[in-house]
Parts: sequence; C-alpha cells; structure tokens
Amino acid sequence: MLKIKNLKASIEDKQILNGLNLEVNAGEVHAIMGPNGSGKSTLASVLAGREDYEVQEGSIEYQGEDILELAPEERAREGIFLAFQYPIEIPGVSTTNFLKTAINQIREHRGEKALDAVSFLKLMKEKMKLVEMDQALLSRSLNEGFSGGEKKRNEIFQMAMLEPKLAILDETDSGLDIDALKIVANGVNALKADDNATIVVTHYQRLLDYIVPDFVHVLYNGRIVKSGDKNLALELEEKGYDWIKEEVSGELV
Amino acid sequence: MQSTIDFQDALQASYEAIQLATGNELMKEFRAKAFENFQAQGVPTRKYEEYKFTPIDRFLKGKIDFLRINETTPITQKEVEEHFYEIEGSHLVFVNGQFHADWSRIHGDLSLHEIDENFLSGDDQVLGQIADYEHDPFAALNHACFTSGISIKVASKEKTSVFIYHVIDSRQGQVISQPKVCLEAFANTQVAIAERLVLIGDNTLFHNPLTEVLVHENAQVNLTKVQAYGESHFVIDGVNVNQKRYSNFTANTMSFSGKLVRNNLNIAQLDENCESHMNGLYLLGGTSHVDNHTAVDHKMPNAYSNEMYKGIVTEKSTGVFNGKIYVRPGAQQTNAFQSNNNISLSDNATIHTKPQLEIWADDVKCSHGCTIGQLDEDALFYLRARGLDELTAKAIMLNAFAQDALTGIPFEVISKEVTEEIANRLAQ
Repeated sequence: MLKIKNLKASIEDKQILNGLNLEVNAGEVHAIMGPNGSGKSTLASVLAGREDYEVQEGSIEYQGEDILELAPEERAREGIFLAFQYPIEIPGVSTTNFLKTAINQIREHRGEKALDAVSFLKLMKEKMKLVEMDQALLSRSLNEGFSGGEKKRNEIFQMAMLEPKLAILDETDSGLDIDALKIVANGVNALKADDNATIVVTHYQRLLDYIVPDFVHVLYNGRIVKSGDKNLALELEEKGYDWIKEEVSGELV
Repeated sequence: MQSTIDFQDALQASYEAIQLATGNELMKEFRAKAFENFQAQGVPTRKYEEYKFTPIDRFLKGKIDFLRINETTPITQKEVEEHFYEIEGSHLVFVNGQFHADWSRIHGDLSLHEIDENFLSGDDQVLGQIADYEHDPFAALNHACFTSGISIKVASKEKTSVFIYHVIDSRQGQVISQPKVCLEAFANTQVAIAERLVLIGDNTLFHNPLTEVLVHENAQVNLTKVQAYGESHFVIDGVNVNQKRYSNFTANTMSFSGKLVRNNLNIAQLDENCESHMNGLYLLGGTSHVDNHTAVDHKMPNAYSNEMYKGIVTEKSTGVFNGKIYVRPGAQQTNAFQSNNNISLSDNATIHTKPQLEIWADDVKCSHGCTIGQLDEDALFYLRARGLDELTAKAIMLNAFAQDALTGIPFEVISKEVTEEIANRLAQ
C-alpha cells in the first residue's frame, strides 16, 4: 500500500528526514517510535502533504502511485488520513458543517452520489458511538474549548466518517488519560480491516498495549534505525532510547 | 488645483439652482446656513485628518458633474416592487434620491411625512438637530442640497419594521442622490430599519444620504445597511444618532463594494444607561475603497458600547476603519469595547485601522484591539487534509470569520442574503 524510499525532507533549511525507508501493506499496523526530534511528526506531515516541508530526495508511493506532487486534499480523497497531534481550533466552523462538505467532495471524487442531510446524520450517529462522542460537541466551533481527550476523540470520529485506507495517527496518545486512551484505541481497532493500514506515531509504548502493532520501527535522526515486532516497543519502554542511540553511533564509528 | 476650484464652483451652482427651486423662506435659510458650513469646510483633501486615507476631492475630481440634473427614469412601480422584502412592515421607496410616496407602502400606524418647512417651524427635534454639520462637510452638503427627505415617527407599542429601498437607475446617465431620512423612536418603542439598494445601469453615481435618529427613553432602534455598490459609485453615507436614557441602538453596516464608500456613523449617548452596538463587515475586491468612520460619545454614567468590525480585503481593494470612543468626565461606570479584525488575501490590498479612544472618566472599562493578518495556514491545512479543496476551505474559514459581524441583523432573510453574498464574493 505504501512504499517510502530514501525519503529526505527539510523545513526552513533544517534537514529532518535523512533517507527514510518504510513499507506498509494492507491489513498491517505499524508503530513508529523514537525520541523527541527524531522526525516522527515530520514523517506524518509529509505523508499528509503539508507544503511547509520540502522533499529533496526519495519517493512516496501509495497504492502504486507517486503522491509527492498531490495536494493534501487529493491525498485525503485517495484515502490518506492524518490524525493531528495538535488538532486545530477553528472558531465559527463546526465539525458537522465542514465534515459534510468534505465527505461530499470526497464522494464526488470517487464518483459517488452526495450524501443528503438525513443519511449524513445517520452515518454521524453511528460513528459517534464508536468514540462515545457527544453530538452537541460536533455542532460547536471545531475543537474550541474541547478538552484534550475530546479533541483526540474528534479526530478518530472524523477518521471513522472518512473511512481512510491509510490512517496516520500522530501522537494520538499525548495528553490522554487512560480512559480516553482506551476509547480512542477502541475506535481505531474497530476501524481496522484487511484492506486498510494504520501507522501509529508515538513516543511511548503505552498506546501500543491497546493498538497492537504488527511492526515497530525506531526513528532516529530522520532514518529508521531498527525494526521489530511489538516486543521492540516493550524493550524501548524498559530501556529507553539511549541504547539505540549508542548502537547507531557505534555503527557509524 | 484648477479642477478642484471647478468642482467647488459646480457645487455652488448646483446649490443655487436648488435654492431657486425652494419656495419657502425657512427652508432657504436652513439650506443657506448649511451651505455656508459646507463651504467653510470644503471638500476634504488628504490634509483633512478625518479623510487622510479617503481624500474625497481626488475621488470625485472629474467624475461627477454637479451641474447636471438627473434624467427622469423609465423604471416602473412593478419593477421596484419586485425588490421588496417579503417581510411585514412599511416599504419606502426612493428613486434617484427622490422619495416616491405612491410606490411606498405604510404598515400599521407608522407616521410618515415628507420633509418640508413645517419641520423647521415646529418643535421637531430631529431634522438638522442631530448631525454635527459644522464638523461634517457631507452632512452640511446634504442639508444644503438634499433632493428629498422623509420623517418617520414611531410611537407604536408593537415592533415596527421599516424597509427603505434606494433605487438608483442610471440608465439615462449620471445620478446625484442626496436623500434624507429622519427617524424619531418615541419612548418604549422598538424599530428595525433595513436599507436595500436597487442598482440599475452603470453610469456614475454620487450618493450622499443622511440619516438622523433620535432614540427616546427605553426605545430600541436597529439599523441595517447592505452596501453592494458598483465600480462607478461614489457614496458618503452619514448616520447620526442621539440616544436618551435606557435606550438601545444597533447599527449593522455590511459593505461589499463601491468605488468609494465612506460611512460616517456617529452616536451620542446623551443620557445614562444607554447601550450602543456597532457591527460592520467589509468584504472587498477589485479596486473598491470602503472607509468606516465611527464615533460613540459616552456623556453620562453606566454607558455601554460594543463595536465589532470585520474586514476581508482582496485584489487591490482598500479598507479603512477609524473608531472613536469618547468617555466624558461624567460617564463613570462606562463599559466600551471595540475590535477591528482584518484578513488580507492579497499583497496589493490595503488596510488602515485606527482606534481612537479619549477617556476623561476614571472608573471605566474600555478595550480595543485591531488585527491585520492572513488566513491561518494551520487551519487551512487541517481542512484540506480532511479532503476539502483549497477554495472551499478558505471560503468556510472566511465565512466563519465574517459571521460574527452579522449577529445584530434582526431579519433572517437579510442575514441569509448577506451570508449568500459573502459566499458569492468568496467564490470569485
């Protein structure tokens, strides 16, 4: 589904990704872990098409197509979804309001008929249950005055509505208490299917107790320096990241 | 310089022609005194502080022929009525600055009269009493040369709605329109007025309407203006309000275009416990120039005012905002708030914004803030990452930004119309 080859990216002349390789297949859950500043969020942003980042080298192939030239909305319409680490607050725009427009633009792109108000509402009610979301919240200004947990649940709610092929969860666990974490994780798990894939970007192992990854990758200095199964995450939890850093510098020497 | 003199001469000649047609001595005197004041002030140039960013002389120079008399228009009653809002209330029609009694519909017991000398000989407290024409050249010019005027007096205990249609038909040539509206809302009444423009033809327009409003004790007046003028329209729109105790006045000024639109909104709170709201939106493109000068004068204790103007400028348009708040020594316990937020969507658009607070009382709460910025890129990316194309995402955000300024409009039909206008403008 996703093939990243030798990806190098920078922002404002600061090099962040240094030749990253990653392959994700349908039905898989990949966790990307790593110390602060290793490039995790940059990878998530570059995948979603954020224009502040400049890709100097490498390729991102998604469903067999190079997507580097695609605008964020084109990627979204092809089924890429980014759950933001810091969901944006937009005064005066409600989730319901923009999501209806978004879904219908995506449906139009796919050659499907626009959802009418009734079907949209029905779909919304069904997906709200998944993350125990309150409808009143969805008609309020987007994320304005939402608690940390509400913001993240809103992200997963939108993911449920858009039914992406490739979901990237950027530090979705940050700022969540354990109850909220469970709700979010349950939502993500419920959306898992054989024809979609999930990339979970996280600093801590905690989330991976609930969203169990098939693969764990360690990102350091803009490259994936170690890959393994879920046990790698446990090892990182126990030992921290220093041994990885040492291993990497050892290799370089 | 030469043409400035010509321009003043032409105004003088046009004033003299109007005086010749004025039969009554009192009215002649009224016009003469006003014209003296106009001449003393002159047509504002860049040097005139209040018109620094809107030098009217430059705008008008060579554009308006003040010696020309409006041609008669072929417009019919039926054509005009098609523009009437389907809302219960009085519907009043001006055509090219001339009040059209036959085409107007009075609802209920609204007292409506055309302005004549009787308003000068009696004890009318509105005509010529509210606008400070000694310091406002265009109020003086309207007094001196007004084409036609109406006086509305509201005494009804029921909610009163009045719709004023300014029909401008320039198909036969340039139009000069200087209508006058006087409104007196007696104690405990509630009045909502909305002005609608009906523009036909695209010849030049000089439009200098003047509204004077007296809001008595515990009365509420709401005035909505939707300004979507054309590229050859020059407008100076004066609204002057006096408020008595426990009264409430709201102005909603929605501007979308016009070669030159200058709004002078002046509110004086003469008594205690007055409340004033000033809401404004300007969403401009092309080379439109819209200037909102507002002033609220708190003279007595326990006063309240809240002002919110939102601006979106694109292409080569210019938005000007100047908000004055006076808190006089006697106006203790006053709360006055002002904000002017702007979004510029182009490198060639201009915003001038200036809060001007003068506070002499020491126990007051006043705040003001003005911002000029671009659209929030993070928010834009967020919406696009959910599948919205860039244009739609921008439109959604700008619409949300603008909506705050619409909250004071009391007619749903009109706020919907304004919302649609916002969407249309943003789609361009």
